[in-house]
Amino acid sequence: MSKGTKGLIPPGLAYIADNFTSKGNILGASKGSGAKWAKDLGLPKRSDTVFFAGCGYQYSAELEALSSLIRGMDKSRIGAESSMGIATFGKKLGVDFGGVYRRVAARGGGSDAQPLMDAVKVLGKLGVQFGYLAEDEPCCAGLLHYVGLEKEFSENAQRLYGKLKSLGVKRIIGIVPSCTYTLRNLIPHSVPGYDIEVKHFSEVVREKINSIELRFPREVKVVYHDPCQLGRYLGLTEEPRQILRAIKGIELVETEWTHGEWATCCGGGGGFEAVFPELSQILAVNRTRELLETGAKMIVTNCPGCILQLRAGLKELKVEDVEVLDLAQVIAMAM
Amino acid sequence: MSVFKDYKKEIMDAAHNERISLALSRAIKSYRANTNQALKKFPHTIQMAEEVRQIKEKAIGEMEKLAQQACAAITENKGKAYIAKTADDARNIIDGLVGKGKLIVKGKSMTAEEIGLREHLEERGNEVYETDLGEFIIQKLGSRPMHILSPAIHVPKEDVAELFSKITGEKLPADIPTLVATARKLLREKYFKADIGMSGANVVAADTGTLFIIENEGNIRLATGAPPVHIALVGMEKLVPTLGDAYKVAEVTWRYANYTVPSYVSLISGPSKTGDIEKVTTYGAHGPADFHVVFMDAGRTSLAKNPILRQALYCLRCGGCLYECPVFAVTAGHFGDKYFAGIGAVWAAMLSEDVEKGAAVAYTCLTCGRCKIRCPMKIDTPEMIVELRRLIVGDGTQATPLS
Repeated sequence: MSKGTKGLIPPGLAYIADNFTSKGNILGASKGSGAKWAKDLGLPKRSDTVFFAGCGYQYSAELEALSSLIRGMDKSRIGAESSMGIATFGKKLGVDFGGVYRRVAARGGGSDAQPLMDAVKVLGKLGVQFGYLAEDEPCCAGLLHYVGLEKEFSENAQRLYGKLKSLGVKRIIGIVPSCTYTLRNLIPHSVPGYDIEVKHFSEVVREKINSIELRFPREVKVVYHDPCQLGRYLGLTEEPRQILRAIKGIELVETEWTHGEWATCCGGGGGFEAVFPELSQILAVNRTRELLETGAKMIVTNCPGCILQLRAGLKELKVEDVEVLDLAQVIAMAM
Repeated sequence: MSVFKDYKKEIMDAAHNERISLALSRAIKSYRANTNQALKKFPHTIQMAEEVRQIKEKAIGEMEKLAQQACAAITENKGKAYIAKTADDARNIIDGLVGKGKLIVKGKSMTAEEIGLREHLEERGNEVYETDLGEFIIQKLGSRPMHILSPAIHVPKEDVAELFSKITGEKLPADIPTLVATARKLLREKYFKADIGMSGANVVAADTGTLFIIENEGNIRLATGAPPVHIALVGMEKLVPTLGDAYKVAEVTWRYANYTVPSYVSLISGPSKTGDIEKVTTYGAHGPADFHVVFMDAGRTSLAKNPILRQALYCLRCGGCLYECPVFAVTAGHFGDKYFAGIGAVWAAMLSEDVEKGAAVAYTCLTCGRCKIRCPMKIDTPEMIVELRRLIVGDGTQATPLS
């Protein structure tokens, strides 16, 4: 193979990678705006154990706005004709990405950050002691690794580790599967001597779930969707199910074959939705259809990307009586 | 970026083609049911697959040695064997053996597809018949294969009926047995008129020089048995040290290709011979008098040097991963190049040396990892994809291993 070139990174991904370098998070949202959801929760900013909120939920509104914009462009075929980056493209169309972000940010978290607020509530009720770094929380930049920008990823990993150490972090409770996998499995390869213990929310909750009584406000049939990075990458297929089974009122059902390690990707994997937004939506519809075949009225998962994809799938299929919730929301509702 | 633009248009057209999704959703369902059943009936396959992974890991590191050993064995068996360093070398060796104006019957071979062998032979004035039904359909449609084992997976019976009606000049119904019988009739006489039969191989034992060829239709038995000359083109990654190893590779391959057992496995080690008259060995009894095997490197030994990407060479070509890929389920082989889906990106970029196409295919992979769960060799395609993207971006750093 001849020598490589960054010019071969598809435009959508190149845009996201650029955002990271210039704005410090994958979406190019302004720094610190992501932490608003937690301002009234009274979480300590310094603690041995920190809750790692990640970009996915903190910027989920921005993400949704951006992906619907990209999808619109893709469908109009203009995107396919264009070899320019999305940022440049946005300018040409007169779309102000910054403005989109400011508008959603002005809404101040709201329902988009609900899974985070609920996760904090659940961990608190289970007696877990932890803090939240708020605007000091660094981006794990896992996407840079998947894009192929290993040098940038590795440099960020070292900065991130230095920062976490200087803030006294010893343990992390992750909520976004991809951030958790990056912090637990990828970064240690770039940082010799990495000694931060990383657990996913569902592991922490699973350990303590039997200490409290959980009852969902109504009887409901639930299907669980395994996010790729949680199920196949981190191997956590049983924990979320054990939690759901512990909640009275919930009947857990499974897809015929495509669950656990065989779960079908929602179509949002590895930055795919930024490169092939329209195809990504087709895959979201296919996965949603598989989940609906179980007759479930609620789809539970724990990945901000999967949630967006599956909601888009329901919308496309014009299904209105099924909802998609994060596992943390379901547990909080059952407390 | 124009390669990417064309490619994106191609896969989006495929994704909007409901016939592809429909054909594939049926195929996926039946693949999973058949494979689960086959594995349940022969549960030892799973452990055997682990053993095969060890065999392949070792064999890939010594492909050149194994190729030489196999050449020596085939020569001893009175066949002729060649090592082709490049795809050009392979085509030149085959040109030398074939000449021009010949009638050739050919079994399905992804390695031949890789180097565009059929088109090449046709351009040189030979008449080439693909004899695998799916491949025959693809050839007559002027299309390209969309799956490594079922090349015409995306073509419904109505389209086959229309195609065969055009060829035979009579109106044929969209009835599968009728269509199969038509292909049989169309091809039957070609086997016996052909000057040359061509095939690939699923696995080759270096110690005896034996080719294992797995099939169900019986076309390969005829194509490699009836004509006076048999030429096989084999990728060097197919070599394993012993006959015993080769058998294990073959069994794991067909089991994960959803068969409890295939109808036919041909083991070919040399030309046809007899000693029945006065114990004088004479070649070309009922089968071919001339047997040629071309072992092709074409980037394989260099790929083997990359600790992550060498996994692509462990592939048995069972096709199982394709049935688990959510993108493949809506695009078929449009997501790919000569080989398909995530692993196809590695072949495109590293072996076909088409970096732009390789990049486009590499960035189509979801890195969701379900293919790895299915793969009998546990090939970590997401890990290979990230490594490939890193090489494409060319930032010169060592990738972070995923496992």
